Amino acid sequence: MSTDLVETPSPSGKDASYYERRALIQASARGTLKRRRTVALAIRILFGFCMVLVLVPLIFLISYVTKRGVGALSVAFFTHTPTPEGIPGGGISNAIIGSLLINGLALVIAMPIGLLIALFLIERRGPIPNAIRFGADVLSGLPSILIGLFAYAVIVTHTGHYSAYSASAALAVLMLPIMIRGDEEAMRTVPNELWEAGLALGARQSRVVRSVVVRGSIPGLVTANLLALARAVGETAPLLFTAVGSQLFSLSFNQPMNAIPIVIYQDGTTAFKDLQQDAWGAAFVLMVGVLILSIIGRLFAARLTRKSR
Amino acid sequence: MQTKEGSPRQLLEQRRSSLSSGRGYAGLLWLAAGIFVVILAAIIEGIVSQSTMAWGHFGLGFLWSTAWNESTNTFGAGQFIIGTLTVTGIAMLIAVPVGLATAAFLTEMCPRRIATPLGVAIDLIAAVPSIVVGLWGLYVLQPVFLRDVEPFMKKIPVIDFAFKGNAEGASYFLAGFVLSIMIVPTMVALSRTALAGVGNTDREAAFALGATPWQVIRKVVVPGANSGLLAAGTLALGRAVGETIAITLLIGNSLTLGHPFSLLNPGATLGSVIVLNFGESQPGTLLRSTLLALAVVLLAMTLIVNIGGRLIVRKNLLFRLP
Repeated sequence: MSTDLVETPSPSGKDASYYERRALIQASARGTLKRRRTVALAIRILFGFCMVLVLVPLIFLISYVTKRGVGALSVAFFTHTPTPEGIPGGGISNAIIGSLLINGLALVIAMPIGLLIALFLIERRGPIPNAIRFGADVLSGLPSILIGLFAYAVIVTHTGHYSAYSASAALAVLMLPIMIRGDEEAMRTVPNELWEAGLALGARQSRVVRSVVVRGSIPGLVTANLLALARAVGETAPLLFTAVGSQLFSLSFNQPMNAIPIVIYQDGTTAFKDLQQDAWGAAFVLMVGVLILSIIGRLFAARLTRKSR
Repeated sequence: MQTKEGSPRQLLEQRRSSLSSGRGYAGLLWLAAGIFVVILAAIIEGIVSQSTMAWGHFGLGFLWSTAWNESTNTFGAGQFIIGTLTVTGIAMLIAVPVGLATAAFLTEMCPRRIATPLGVAIDLIAAVPSIVVGLWGLYVLQPVFLRDVEPFMKKIPVIDFAFKGNAEGASYFLAGFVLSIMIVPTMVALSRTALAGVGNTDREAAFALGATPWQVIRKVVVPGANSGLLAAGTLALGRAVGETIAITLLIGNSLTLGHPFSLLNPGATLGSVIVLNFGESQPGTLLRSTLLALAVVLLAMTLIVNIGGRLIVRKNLLFRLP
């Protein structure tokens, strides 16, 4: 126990008990500091370990999918339709085209509706926009399987057959809440003065929105739409009730259509090695596609924040 | 950035609405809002209307009955509700503490040079589709769980009561574990945002008083971010409850709970039983209606989590830390 501070001379005549008490307090303060620092260090190590726990499986996951997936890739994989097990030369061309078509149509449906709803949230105030915002949040939390069952109930049961456009409708509903909130956030970054300047020039509200607000927030809008697309592309459950998958090459939205997640789900659960390999190839293609979409989306978002500074 | 009362823009808006020039645009916005409300209503109506036969047939007892027999047409939701809760519970038990600790480490305890790229990487990984994670779990983790992890869990004292029975690989435990890997990036990303939202002045004041980083986290940052953290937990919980396809690959798809109940048993969740049986059920049959009734239960569960979570966040009832 160090007593160096105790030996400093005291100007006023303080008795020995004062120094004793002071030494006691200092010692205990030093003790708690030491304890607090030890605890903080232990927690830091523990938390850092947690971060490693989070990263390790994810790194294993990505590297394993890459390893198995790259091995499955070939020219035929991208250009041919599936073959039955045991017959080489099969590919997933119909699933790649199918995913593009289904998600493309979903994007075309959801994008304008999402933008208009976001504008509604910006232009109006009061209970109705708040309720819609709440509804969008709740919708974004709904399991995708329920969205798929909804598309089945509303479209497939009425048309009487599975179809690609019912899948697009399901994915559009899935994209909608992400777009609404993302678009709203993006357009709120447009300064009020710009709205006012546009209106002061005598432009109509709709004209201001088109030329000033939407144009001024394009990077943010692109980000929101790309992230919505990235989420929808990887969804499997809604497709199982709507597009259901197909071995054939189809460009018709009125027919069942194959898609990459369906290939992964169906081929990945078979006992045949060559089909399993196709599933890994499809998983790799899907993972890379989704990552590219997310990265491009984030780059647009980064451009937006740089600009607004 | 709301418009202030009486701002030029609002005055103009008022003028404009008295003229008729903006009608088409305003009408378009109302139309979009109307479409959204119709979609929400149609989702609920579409699912509920197809399940009426099952509810009429079984009544509310459907919720706790664990029967499942296609030849006698007796079905219950009990084992699937328990399955969903079990898998979700395992995932949350792992993902919440680990995710919170990671977020705290990234925002409070590590240099920004490292934290920013790691944070971006975790955000990106959160976008990996669940079917890909499920496939990986099926081919890589299931053999490891069967051989090493599940026998090991049986030997740990205190929690070994939950791991009775034979290790079979596909199980509640495996499904819950993989689910935790899937929701942890969400948990980290959202709680990182919440923690980073706490003002730096609060942190600096605490450091100036001699607090260690851990004390700053515990006494300043976490209380300051509690509603954001709660929202992160709620969203992760919502994702966990609704996740279907990866769990279908991993849970073993047994239609009974198994006796005695153990986390090593194969089971099923509400989502997995719908996915697996939907294709085989004919429209108009009791089985099909039962599957839709299970969807109604799932809908109710996610609505409770989402709406309840939001109400709690708004009122800030929980997480009142000292």
